[in-house]
Amino acid sequence: MLVPEGSFTPFFLKKDTANSSSATATVINAFWLDATPVTNRKFQAFVNKHPAWHPSNIRKIFTDSHYLAHWQNAQGSADTADLDKPVVNVSWFAAEAYCEAQDKRLPSTDEWEYALTDNGRDQENLQKQIINWYSTPNQELPAVGSKPPNGFGVFDLVGLIWEWTADFNSYMAPPDSRNSGEKNLFCGSGSLNASNLGDYAAFMRYSYRESLKGNFTGRNLGFRCAKDTK
Amino acid sequence: MKTNLKRQLLLSLLFACSALPGSFQAFAEDHEHHHQHETSLAAPDPANVSTDSVFNITDSWTAADGKTFQLSQLGGKPTVVAMVYTSCQYVCPLTVQNIKRIERALPAAQAGKVNFALFSFDPQRDTPAKLTEFAKLHSITSPSWVLAQGSESAVRKLAVTLGIKYKKVQSGDYEHDATISILDSNGVVKFQSNAMNKDIHDTTDALKALLH
Repeated sequence: MLVPEGSFTPFFLKKDTANSSSATATVINAFWLDATPVTNRKFQAFVNKHPAWHPSNIRKIFTDSHYLAHWQNAQGSADTADLDKPVVNVSWFAAEAYCEAQDKRLPSTDEWEYALTDNGRDQENLQKQIINWYSTPNQELPAVGSKPPNGFGVFDLVGLIWEWTADFNSYMAPPDSRNSGEKNLFCGSGSLNASNLGDYAAFMRYSYRESLKGNFTGRNLGFRCAKDTK
Repeated sequence: MKTNLKRQLLLSLLFACSALPGSFQAFAEDHEHHHQHETSLAAPDPANVSTDSVFNITDSWTAADGKTFQLSQLGGKPTVVAMVYTSCQYVCPLTVQNIKRIERALPAAQAGKVNFALFSFDPQRDTPAKLTEFAKLHSITSPSWVLAQGSESAVRKLAVTLGIKYKKVQSGDYEHDATISILDSNGVVKFQSNAMNKDIHDTTDALKALLH
């Protein structure tokens, strides 16, 4: 899906310099975003073509021990019933390698969040949807694209899985160092400045990303790819 | 596999010995020959890279002298690694100073047996020429040091691998963790410390432990 150029106000205020921030909107260039998360079927095709990413071959530095843990048949491949479900139990490295192999990349956190804001369409309902999902215990995953897309034509940003972003390891909320007496000395310092303190769902997403490491996998953590328009 | 195991056994034996100050030096000298033999080997064959080694990352980097290299070419010696950028005013110069203190804390005979590698967060501005200038500014002349520029995705991958968080801010500067990592000769991260720590003893000890 082509997500058109636009802007949004990220949950954490944009840093103008290392020491000041403002609530001005972040401009996002148009980009291609997969309409749905990557499925087991597609990831299986990738693994078949790139055996280095098969569960029995993957290098330890690129994953924890639960890589593709739901691929439980004898060949270590996806169950037929799961083929159209989103692939989960994949590390950032595996997600990144998959996108690279398609001549794509992972979306940035800003791009992903911008796609979620859906150009401001029906924010209240969106918030409710997100909070409802976050408060529902994990369930059996449905196939991708089972629910209607948002206004950009993008499916499943809410209600299915958590998704890796390219820069999940961004420094979003560094500890407040304004009172350290050295604020002009640090390259990297800032404070927890949120644009909308009522947006608990956004806080959860940013906190979740902040807690990840590149080799982590999760039963509800998958990804989709993006691409520049140029 | 077998060699790895042997090396590990040897390493743990050396760790055990290093607890006995008296025998420490003599033992190190005994193994001088063995060690030199090992370091004279070329960069490891990718197929033999240890499964938990950062050398599994195959992105290309460009050194200050313009030569391209892969991380695995740092193999054969332990490496002190940090990520910095040259326009950084405070954290990065201090990081470099602390790594130089680590270098100075090594006995002269050992300093040449370690790589010191600085990887830039800033692919746009930190060209090889800029890196050369930065090295000069910090009196880095030893051939043991390498300063490197990589693509945006290579920088991200290395940072994710080393567990370093960073973000580019509007001004073009970077907010980033300041971390010093010690890799063993196979590229496995053995120790990490906050680069702002004034006390470099633990980091230096972790490095020395890999040198015998």
